Amino acid sequence: MATKRQRFLRILIPYFYLSPSIIFLILFTYWPVINSVYLSLFRHSVLNPIPIFTWLGNYESILKEEIFPTVLKNTLIYAIGTIPFTMFLAFSLAVLINEKIGWLRNIYRVSMFYPTMIPMAAAGMLAVWLFNPGIGLVNYYLGKLGLKGPQWLYSMEWALPAIMITAIWKNFGYFMILFLAGLQNINKELYESSELEGAGFFQKLRFITIPLLGPTTVFVIIVGVITSFQVFDLVHIMTQGGPADQTNVIVYFIYQYAFRFWDIGKASALTVLFLIGLLTFIIMLVRNIERKVHYEV
Amino acid sequence: MKFKLTNIKNYFKRNLHRLAIHLLLTSVGILTVVPYFWSLSTSLKRREDVFTTPPRWFPIPPTIENYLEVFKLAPFGIYLVNTIIVVLGILLLQIFMATTAAYAFSRLNFKGKNFLFILFLIQMMLPVHAIIVPNYLMIKNLGVLNTRIAMMLPFFATGYGTFLLRQAFKQVPRDFEDAALIDGCSSPQIIINVLMPMAKATYVAFSLISIVTHWNDFFWPLVVTDTPQVRTLTVGLAMFVQQESGADWTLLMAATIFVTAPLLILFIVYQRKFIESFMSAGLKG
Repeated sequence: MATKRQRFLRILIPYFYLSPSIIFLILFTYWPVINSVYLSLFRHSVLNPIPIFTWLGNYESILKEEIFPTVLKNTLIYAIGTIPFTMFLAFSLAVLINEKIGWLRNIYRVSMFYPTMIPMAAAGMLAVWLFNPGIGLVNYYLGKLGLKGPQWLYSMEWALPAIMITAIWKNFGYFMILFLAGLQNINKELYESSELEGAGFFQKLRFITIPLLGPTTVFVIIVGVITSFQVFDLVHIMTQGGPADQTNVIVYFIYQYAFRFWDIGKASALTVLFLIGLLTFIIMLVRNIERKVHYEV
Repeated sequence: MKFKLTNIKNYFKRNLHRLAIHLLLTSVGILTVVPYFWSLSTSLKRREDVFTTPPRWFPIPPTIENYLEVFKLAPFGIYLVNTIIVVLGILLLQIFMATTAAYAFSRLNFKGKNFLFILFLIQMMLPVHAIIVPNYLMIKNLGVLNTRIAMMLPFFATGYGTFLLRQAFKQVPRDFEDAALIDGCSSPQIIINVLMPMAKATYVAFSLISIVTHWNDFFWPLVVTDTPQVRTLTVGLAMFVQQESGADWTLLMAATIFVTAPLLILFIVYQRKFIESFMSAGLKG
């Protein structure tokens, strides 16, 4: 029989296996979350090197900040403008690539998926070059079509759309691969029997493909929301938030407060607001969609 | 052989359908490739050939001058080495930590198992970039600002990797382990000799995704570094852009292409593995 000491050690074994991960999860995920709530209650910046307790003072001054509504608006426009369109594009292309189209399939997949391998920062540089108002390729071909191209990244109206177009180009291939994975999990017999019943392309799409892709779609939406609310690299490379904060988004705003103005208090308050917003959004989304999704295949 | 009008019509219709699909996919494919091709072409041009109208699609004659000059102007070689060190360092520790944690979650019973597992899952929704300020302060307090290790630390624990490996371990039949136990294997030996080989596909998938993610990371390395000696490729590129604000497009594009080339070449060579990995791991996540 095992002694008391041996039994005690046996109970500890699982925690021993988990401890490396848990230590790092605490240090770099959970403690930072708690710490940002704590830090957000203090006035602490280059001007006030010694933290002063201010209760909700930082939140108050953020809400009074003139460009805060602009930042929120830009973030929402970016998310709402990119996620549905990217998903629609990715879904349609995945359905087409999944048809019986022969050896070209692989070339299509590679040519659409390769932007996933490129850093966002580099994608931003490619876009800066293509959207150059004077000698960029985009405006040259717009000119060929008889359109006068805008000033893109230097324009109040077109800078954010340029960033959004770049993000769609960078992301749709990844989403397409996720949809393709979902499509290949659908039982082929379903299609075969529906074809025997005389179902056409769009009927199969409507009654088999779309319902059965529910779980994949939920996953893609959540990935889309998490990544697009955190857009930073493209903004930093392409516009630095300009012109006149027309492309300033929430994470870039946090970055400016923390690492340009060194205002730790306000940056932390913004982080807290951001996390609350992000989590609420995801919970609402999951609740709303889950009701409409069939999980069993 | 009987010839019916409807047969011909059907044949025609089916091929028209297929032709339409190919036309659509080809045009999207070309549109997607153009930005990279154009920049690659720019990077191989002489400076004076950039401003031609109409734009010249091919660099004739091609020159690697721009790449040589980029290497003279900024330490891209050091950036490359740093990136490789950081990416592989992260991967190694991730595999170690995710394996031990996944073993506990898939094979052992203990108090608080569900709660702890949820803590791992929530991490996927709380990426380092969302909590960058307190993470920066943590690194600062640990006294490792501006080091390669600072760029790795926050990514060692991975909820995603743990989740994937737990799924994979669960699919390994218990019989294999029982046999190993009878042979006198200890738990670590079972992990190394039984579970890890059986979950090889998951390890490959997770590794490729981790490599791509951290090779391409920009925000975190940007925040915790401030000297070229430790910087990675993406941050080096951004610094190069700032330094060369005179807009010499051939140089900027040469730098950009150099930063993207290693992963892209790897992707082209192992395209099937990459795409399969992103498909399988994406779906399970």
